[in-house]
Amino acid sequence: MTTSFEQLSSRSRRRRAVGKETGFHSWTENADWWLLGSVLGLIALGFVMIYSSSRSIVIDDPLYFVKRQSVALIVSLGVFFLIMRIDYRRFSTYSLVAYLGTCIALFLVLTPFGSDSRGAQAWFQLPFGFQLQPSEFAKVILIIALAGFVNQHRDEIDPWRLTLIVGVALIPLALVQLQPDLGTNMVLLSMVIGLLAVAGVKGRYLLILMMLAITGVFVVLNLGILKQYQLDRLTVVLDGGNKKEGASYNQDQSKKTIATGGLTGQGLLKGPQTRLGFVPEQQTDFIFTAAGEEFGFAGTSLILTLFAIVMWRTWRIANLSADFYGTLICSGVLAVFVFMVFENIGMTMGIMPITGIPLPFMSYGGSSLITCVACIALVANVHANRFS
Amino acid sequence: MAPDRELATAGTRSPRHSPSARSSSSRHRTDRSDPSTNSRRPLTKKNVPRGRIISIFVVIAFVYAVLGARLFDIQVSQKDQYQEVGLAQRFQSVVIPSERGSIFDRNGNALAVSVERMSIWADPRVIKNPDTYARKLAPILGVEFNGLANSLGTKNRAFVYLARQVEPEISNQVKKLNLAGVGFTPETKRYYPAGDLAIPVLGFVGTDNNGLSGLEVDQESQLAGKPGKMSVEKDPQGRVLPDSQQRVFEPKSGRDLLLTIDQSMQYEVERVLVDEVTIAKAKGGVAVLADVRTGDILAMANVDGAITDVPAHPAKAGSANRALSDVFEPGSTNKVVTIAAAIEAGLVNSNTAFEVPSALMIDGTKFEDVHSHPSQLSVADILRISSNVGAILIARTLGADRFDAALRLFGFGQKTELNFPGEASGILLPRDQYNATSMASMPVGSGLAVTAMQMLQVYLTIANGGISVPPRLISATIDANGERHKKPLASSRRVISESTAATLTTMLEGVVSDGTGTKASVAGYQVAGKTGTARKPPYEKPPYRYVASFVGFAPTEAPRLAAIVVLDEPQINATGGLIAAPTFSRIIQYALAVDRVPATS
Repeated sequence: MTTSFEQLSSRSRRRRAVGKETGFHSWTENADWWLLGSVLGLIALGFVMIYSSSRSIVIDDPLYFVKRQSVALIVSLGVFFLIMRIDYRRFSTYSLVAYLGTCIALFLVLTPFGSDSRGAQAWFQLPFGFQLQPSEFAKVILIIALAGFVNQHRDEIDPWRLTLIVGVALIPLALVQLQPDLGTNMVLLSMVIGLLAVAGVKGRYLLILMMLAITGVFVVLNLGILKQYQLDRLTVVLDGGNKKEGASYNQDQSKKTIATGGLTGQGLLKGPQTRLGFVPEQQTDFIFTAAGEEFGFAGTSLILTLFAIVMWRTWRIANLSADFYGTLICSGVLAVFVFMVFENIGMTMGIMPITGIPLPFMSYGGSSLITCVACIALVANVHANRFS
Repeated sequence: MAPDRELATAGTRSPRHSPSARSSSSRHRTDRSDPSTNSRRPLTKKNVPRGRIISIFVVIAFVYAVLGARLFDIQVSQKDQYQEVGLAQRFQSVVIPSERGSIFDRNGNALAVSVERMSIWADPRVIKNPDTYARKLAPILGVEFNGLANSLGTKNRAFVYLARQVEPEISNQVKKLNLAGVGFTPETKRYYPAGDLAIPVLGFVGTDNNGLSGLEVDQESQLAGKPGKMSVEKDPQGRVLPDSQQRVFEPKSGRDLLLTIDQSMQYEVERVLVDEVTIAKAKGGVAVLADVRTGDILAMANVDGAITDVPAHPAKAGSANRALSDVFEPGSTNKVVTIAAAIEAGLVNSNTAFEVPSALMIDGTKFEDVHSHPSQLSVADILRISSNVGAILIARTLGADRFDAALRLFGFGQKTELNFPGEASGILLPRDQYNATSMASMPVGSGLAVTAMQMLQVYLTIANGGISVPPRLISATIDANGERHKKPLASSRRVISESTAATLTTMLEGVVSDGTGTKASVAGYQVAGKTGTARKPPYEKPPYRYVASFVGFAPTEAPRLAAIVVLDEPQINATGGLIAAPTFSRIIQYALAVDRVPATS
């Protein structure tokens, strides 16, 4: 890999020189193949695991979920190439529009335009049974918007501006909380804190902010905004499985399933827990358990490694960025991924509370896949434009 | 990374970049005054503080350390603990019942078999309107509507039995209704093809085919076999998926029993006994028919007398096998024990004469003879006319110790080798608890209690030349492969000498030919036997209630068959000679014919 990467890079250097002369410019020449390769690898693994864990859900159509995810993948690729066509710096111009649009979408989903599913008012129904989850897209759009906003004030983030930034972030957060979707909000919160940390907000402000965030989560837990079952599932990890059986069912099954994999796994399509469907929502939020059972510690290590590469490259691109705006975008994306991976994999192993957070790139769900690919597109965009 | 830095430093596009400006962190360029400035805030580079870089790295490293450690813990270190729980929940065992062995008579006629029957159950969670279901099902199943509606409407249950082991026509009718949530499970049901024939001997089984009484429980280990087990991988809804794993442990069928009972003799004995119980208006009766040479029980009948509008009938399933479980005071049939012991001791022979008064006062109790007789009687006469006083006098000669030893030697006071469930050992006072009248009452058969089988055993011993062959009900077992395993005869033991036995046989012959038991005679055969009539307690208070019995064997020259008939509280002809003896005659006559025993020439 290393050799090919260097070959690629050196080749792209030569091409770049040519391109400069001829005006030829294509991002593919400069693409970070470590990043894109890892993402593709995760997506491919995701498809395999979606097939494995969902093939017996819809009778007569074992490929039902795979097909639907394929549509999402095609859309994702479209979104990716679309984003790659535009210099990311032009996004900053539309920060405000994107922000307002997101807020409106998050508001509309709460009205009768949106629809309720699994206890959260979070979806727009689309034709052919597809659904759109605006809170997913809010992640990527808020990264752009807040990065633009923070960039404007990067050297003057005094308590007043900080309050303003947090206030701006709070509106979509509040709208998401009305669905209610604590998981997405925790992702958004970590993204905001990540952005502010990179923007150089003073350490003590950050500390206060984090305290406020944690307090906010606890307030939400205690205010009865969440449904009781959501609360039970969230807090089951805190009292070590003493909760009623229903609440810890997901986590128990999830742990057992991962354990069944052992060191080398049961083999593709051979995981008994996966095959028999013991883990609820396995193709979505608990996709990691399917990989854990069928590919064992070897497989889960591979997944963690691929995510590590994505994080490493994103962080590297943040540093390579031609400007601070790019750095902020990459940092936001990084914060989102780090939190999602930690929370998702952590909850499958019983060390994090269960919140509805998908595993990036792998979990079934179009909105999530499109959002994650869009995030990577932003990073790749920053990378491609690092010299201009 | 190296190429990028080279690009950066050799950058064609950032001439103002000064490597020395940020030599410490050359990767973070700080072109604050980039020319690509627009009207808004310029999009320029800015240093990310080193501390932040480290903290972000630390956060990511922490995340990975936690995830990696936990993953290793679950998948490698402690996987067994988690996996086991997973295994236990996926694999559910289903018991495959073993096939219970059948029971056959000595000729291979089926007395008890297992047949497959459907049990009907319901899943109340599926049933929306239990009342409609109950209205349809109640008449078919023959149960009450309310109870059925209740069980169909049981909340939080996934399984309730509606009816177990029903006849095929009933299950077919229910199947035709095609009701959602109603299911069928095949189960084996014990079936007795001969009806109530010998049912107290056979016993019965519970709904789960476990023996509960009689041979069914006594021979449970032989009949039951070993249930198999099927471990099936099931999904959380309990469904067995097509590609799931199965582990099957085949059940082991039970062994069949081949009884010594002869179906036709059993039938005849029951029929005759019902007849006679009806004639005598008795409360009930038992009869046992056995092969002298082997101790094989050929028939063991229990009959219930008529009550109000139910005529006398063979005992139903669930009744005790009273031939073994109930004890009675035998009366005169016990006299042979006294005489046998006296002859065996060399004190008397059949001609030894005794001066026999018609009554004897012992400790304030009067013992008298029923029939008037001459004052001098031989031992044979004493037995023939059943003189109580004579028997008491013989016992006196014998003495309590030898008398007591004889009773125990013949098998009183202990269970027979059959060791049948619920079998009684009888009541026999220990020698040291004999009272003043014991040596008067016991020789004539009161003051002790025996089972019909115990008394028959005495006569079997006499008929068999003095050798006791323990009785048995099972002659062989047949294993699942069809192989027959003969049950060897239990070891026999000599009780009295052959000559004593012969002397007794001759005397008992006299009882039937010219004594109290003439009605026991069978045309063409020499029959030996003894009558017995005992008053049931309370002895001195009318109305007197009796137990009338006759026990004997035939043919005397080479005894083949022995039988005992005991009638409980006969109201007409209430003596052994008048009611039990003719019953014996009918039974033994039939058995001699069936066994093709040649007639006495």
